[in-house]
Amino acid sequence: MSTSSSRNPLELVDRYLQAVRFWLPKTGRQEDLLAELGEDLRSQIEDKESELGHALGQDDISEILKRCGAPMLVASRLGPRRHLIGPTLFPVYEFVLKMVLLWILVPVFIFIVGPATLASTNGDWGKTVLVTIGNLWSGAFVAAGIITLVFAILERTHAIADMACTWDPSSLPPLQKPERKTSFVHTMCELAFNVFGLVWLLLVPNHPFLILGPAAAFLKLGTIWHTFYVPVVLLTVAVIVRLAVTLARSQWTAFPLWSQLLQTAASLILVHYMIQAAGYTVHGDWHPFVTIADGLSRSEQYVRFTKIAAIVNVALLISLVCTWVGLCIGGAVQLWELLKHIRKNRSVSQQPASVQLR
Amino acid sequence: MSYGSQARTEVFENLKLELRRGCLTLAVLTQLRTERYGYTLRKALSDDGLEIDEGTLYPLLRRLESQGLLVSQWREEDKRNKRFYRLSPVGEHILEQLLGEWQRINTSLSKILQEA
Repeated sequence: MSTSSSRNPLELVDRYLQAVRFWLPKTGRQEDLLAELGEDLRSQIEDKESELGHALGQDDISEILKRCGAPMLVASRLGPRRHLIGPTLFPVYEFVLKMVLLWILVPVFIFIVGPATLASTNGDWGKTVLVTIGNLWSGAFVAAGIITLVFAILERTHAIADMACTWDPSSLPPLQKPERKTSFVHTMCELAFNVFGLVWLLLVPNHPFLILGPAAAFLKLGTIWHTFYVPVVLLTVAVIVRLAVTLARSQWTAFPLWSQLLQTAASLILVHYMIQAAGYTVHGDWHPFVTIADGLSRSEQYVRFTKIAAIVNVALLISLVCTWVGLCIGGAVQLWELLKHIRKNRSVSQQPASVQLR
Repeated sequence: MSYGSQARTEVFENLKLELRRGCLTLAVLTQLRTERYGYTLRKALSDDGLEIDEGTLYPLLRRLESQGLLVSQWREEDKRNKRFYRLSPVGEHILEQLLGEWQRINTSLSKILQEA
């Protein structure tokens, strides 16, 4: 403090200009701008001195410089307006970024990288999730960096702006159909189907013929069936309640979306545990879904029954895996629909009343 | 300050800035019918109630000069180099047109405000 106060107070102006120079773009105008700013500051000091009748001290000059603004701020105002991606290109950039990150990168990691990692970690789910999230994170950074770089180059070369000048109105996409409320007939059919399904589920324990058909003569339901029977019944009841509420409260436009998403999530968890449970063997035998009925171990056709049971078990396991993948895709689509609905509602609520009335 | 009043202040400041932008250009061009350098121009505007900071004025002067409305030259005055600006012949012509437009807008606005 003492060293700077002993210097010429005007030196502070030069130090200030030096700091502004650091932040100004190195163009031919840099020196010109600095000279003009310096001249303005010196004129201010001169004016103040003649008003006070004595030379200004360091504190007075500091006050003038403070009023002028921080060097970085002043340089940003004096310099040309610059941006990495300008307002013309930014909506396209945002769209591409969303498409690549949400609709390409995330599904690739969930459906390809995740399962591949799971295989390489010998089924360790915790490690798989951590490794996949880590890879997704770094992948997202790299993808975002590359997209930003490409758009920064396009901004510099004005490539998109030039393309935009040659647009053709006939190339505009067709009008989108207005969003329809959930169809009454569709929901009714879904409700009827689920009620029928619930009745069927409740009858199956006492009438295995309903699920196994003629094979009920030599096959019986396996351990998984008993373990997951109650959760499956409860889930079906929940679906029926959801559909009934959707029918009764058709004005709740968001309800079908988030309740369906919850239903998908619950089904996904259930199917996941069923697949996991199907991996276990009991006393060296693998009969998770169906097993050979009691009292047939000495039957002449025992070997044939064993083969049929194995085929049914493998077929059911493949069906469950396919269901799991389908639920993942369905869940992603439902999540997207829900986010779209929320965003649309938010934008409508933020619009002035005059626009909403249109 | 609550979020609502902060948002209202922000909206007001943005609208004020928009309103000032065009007026500042007109004021600067009018003041530069007489030759001035940056600081005296700022002072003249401030004396008439239109404060303008360095970061706004100098880029504006550069832009107007690049559009051919102003001419400038560095000259020594009081043992210091100063950049003097004045209207170019093109600038004088444009200023006349702008003042005509300003009068027209002003008349319309007065009429609208009286009716309201």
